[in-house]
Amino acid sequence: MGSYILKRLLHGAFVLLAISLVVFFALRLTGDPVMAIMGQGNPTQEAVDAMRRSLGLDLPLWKQLFKFLGDLAMGNLGTSFRNNQPVMPQIVERMPATLTLAGAGLFVSLLVAVPVGIISAVRRGGFLDIFGRIFALIGISFPNFFLGIMLMLVFAVKLRWLPASGYQGFKYLILPGLTLGLILSSIITRLIRSTMLDVLRAQYIQTARAKGLSERLVIFRHAFRNAMIPAVTFIGLQLGALLGGTVILEQVFSWPGVGRLALDAISNRDFPLVQGSVLILATVMVIVNLVVDLSYGFLDPRIKVGGKGA
Amino acid sequence: MFNRGIRMLGVAAVAMSLIVSGCSGNTSTPAPASSGATPSQPGAAAYKDKLVIGSALGDPQGSWDPIDTFVVAWGMVASNIFDGLVDRGTDLKIKPGLATEWKYTDDKTLEFKLRQGVKFHNGEPFNADSVVFTFDRLLGPEGEKSPQRSNYTSIDKVVKVDDYTVDFKLKETDPVLITKLAGYGGMIVPPKYIKEVGDAAFDVKPVGTGPYKVTAYTKDSQVVLEAYPDYWGEKAKTKNVVVRFIPEDATRIAEFQTGAIDIMQTVPVAQVKSLESDTNYKVIKVGGPGATALRFDVSKAPVDKLEVRQAIAYAIDTQTIIDTILGGNAKRISSFQGDISFGNNPSQQPFAYDPAKAKDLITKAGATGAKLDLFFSSKSTASKEIGQAIASYLKAVGLEVVLNPVDPQALSSQLIPQAKAGQMHLFGWGGWTLDFDNTAFLLYTKGQMWNPSFNDPKTNELLVKERGTNDQKVREQAFQELTARLRETMPDVPLYQSMAVWGTSAKVDGFTAPPDDRMRLSSVVVGK
Repeated sequence: MGSYILKRLLHGAFVLLAISLVVFFALRLTGDPVMAIMGQGNPTQEAVDAMRRSLGLDLPLWKQLFKFLGDLAMGNLGTSFRNNQPVMPQIVERMPATLTLAGAGLFVSLLVAVPVGIISAVRRGGFLDIFGRIFALIGISFPNFFLGIMLMLVFAVKLRWLPASGYQGFKYLILPGLTLGLILSSIITRLIRSTMLDVLRAQYIQTARAKGLSERLVIFRHAFRNAMIPAVTFIGLQLGALLGGTVILEQVFSWPGVGRLALDAISNRDFPLVQGSVLILATVMVIVNLVVDLSYGFLDPRIKVGGKGA
Repeated sequence: MFNRGIRMLGVAAVAMSLIVSGCSGNTSTPAPASSGATPSQPGAAAYKDKLVIGSALGDPQGSWDPIDTFVVAWGMVASNIFDGLVDRGTDLKIKPGLATEWKYTDDKTLEFKLRQGVKFHNGEPFNADSVVFTFDRLLGPEGEKSPQRSNYTSIDKVVKVDDYTVDFKLKETDPVLITKLAGYGGMIVPPKYIKEVGDAAFDVKPVGTGPYKVTAYTKDSQVVLEAYPDYWGEKAKTKNVVVRFIPEDATRIAEFQTGAIDIMQTVPVAQVKSLESDTNYKVIKVGGPGATALRFDVSKAPVDKLEVRQAIAYAIDTQTIIDTILGGNAKRISSFQGDISFGNNPSQQPFAYDPAKAKDLITKAGATGAKLDLFFSSKSTASKEIGQAIASYLKAVGLEVVLNPVDPQALSSQLIPQAKAGQMHLFGWGGWTLDFDNTAFLLYTKGQMWNPSFNDPKTNELLVKERGTNDQKVREQAFQELTARLRETMPDVPLYQSMAVWGTSAKVDGFTAPPDDRMRLSSVVVGK
């Protein structure tokens, strides 16, 4: 188990190195950050050259790359081109907002997807199944920013039940959390429905029923638990989409998270801040993937993570 | 099994409670109001003690330090936190700020008498040392990375004469210096406080001498201000101000319609009419310094021919573009500056829309059927629509336009400087000094970044003339000749001056929409 985790962490480090190289080169294809910083001030050529020197952008690309990797190895993500502050604390400061929103989205999606998915499977072809499938289809077809603005118009502008945007307490979380959760729940609903249908056809379910167990016990103890394994893998993979979804919704709901920070940094060509944000989000993804793999053992005792005798 | 189920439920409950606490933990609630509007205000009870503003420009990139920034998002709020030696308010006239008077004692020395009895928000006294520190910081190693520095390079150093007198020693004549001292980089900062807390802390907890002080700041969310009771000038009438950063148009308008914000910056064009017809709101339009032009790379055929450039100017119906695409929220211009800019010639008329004349000129130049590339920002809906309109106007007179929507940063930082932006590009310009000098020098002299090919000795000569003197009459004359010369040579077709559209609740009083986006909030009140 220990060596498995070590191997996976090493693997994760390589993934992060590859990502950092891709981000480094991709950013340098996007244009001159000096003009993005000074452009509004209508600067002279001398001022632009001086700024380029002070940001180290006059160095050859390979020197910039080695400096970046060297700093990274020391855990230093660099200093923002815009406000001259270290990048790491700026990102760490934003993480709670993003994780809160992603957590709320996940919570809402499971709250909706698990019952709807199970009912759709158990009452296959029935009214509730059709309703569940239509719900899932709508969710998949809706862009999240559109759903967000619609929910805002209904619950904030028309009904005045909730604040439209901002970050000041629980009620401010409801609309963005609901938007993110509903979109994600539609995909998870479909997955739970199909895996439940597979499991319900399995022989051990017939055995359980033949033993005279109640339908509730058959569904929840035997069927649902087994249906959860592919669902957990899928949800783990969807966390990437969840964090991606927060980028847009943070903008729509004026939510001060890492996504919005990264988005601003991209349009400002603030290279260190973009590199830092991408690397931190990628690190979160690597860790989540590891946790998902480890959770299989918890869900199904027959699976021994990293072992030979599964 | 049952126990495990309970455990999972418990984990879910803890997760949810963390979500809730995480969300409510990082708040920036303003300090509780004590007594409504300031007691000196007659009828104070009739007003709310909090004013909420929705900013379209977003966060000023995480720093309130005047030398870190050039974004208008900064000036919009920070003009209430800091003061300069001189002040340019919403009437755009220069008046005394932290200096009470100033004069040139010789060609290269500008002397300022400073206001006495002024204190920074932390109680630190304002005096000559504060001014010397501010400019040593901007012009010394600290200011090396400052996007502000290039505006103040005519200053050699600032010398303290006595506690309330300073001399600005200049390297060269700078006729726009006084205006620049009302700009962001000229805002006076507290030496003792910055030395004590350091730059990083000053970025997020700024201290100035302005009518409002910062009490809380959540990046990318909001900044909370409180009236500074010891302000030297007109004291703020509303005790608390919250400026929320809401860059998304749909969200900002939703917040405005729910009454969550009292003043809204940038009403989307599509919403202007519906707000104007609702008595709960007021819509205020104001012409700003920003202008837009269709610029040419005069080295490329067929726009290397003057007739073709003139034909393009006659072929475009700019007024219709303003009335339809821009919803009437812009004004025509005859040179690349707004009507409030020093150097604008009000007697010079914009090009008339005359497609027949345009067709004629194109035929004479032998350019019928020529293909032209037009580059513009892909991020601006208005630019895209204006690009399409220009293409159809030019098609009607015999020119084929290929539309090239590109990333705005790539356009301004790579394509234009490298002469890769085709024959024509749509170009917006800030013009914040409200003096044509900056615009004309950077856009029409040879070798400047955004001027890949235009070079006219007469234009250069006129620019040298206006730059070399502080005599504003001589400068005005030079600008009149310059705008006429640019009309003859046509490095661009000046299109329109932008207008900012602000929305306020009908209960808001005392708000003047700022032409340069630098709000002044001292006299603003919100009725209950």
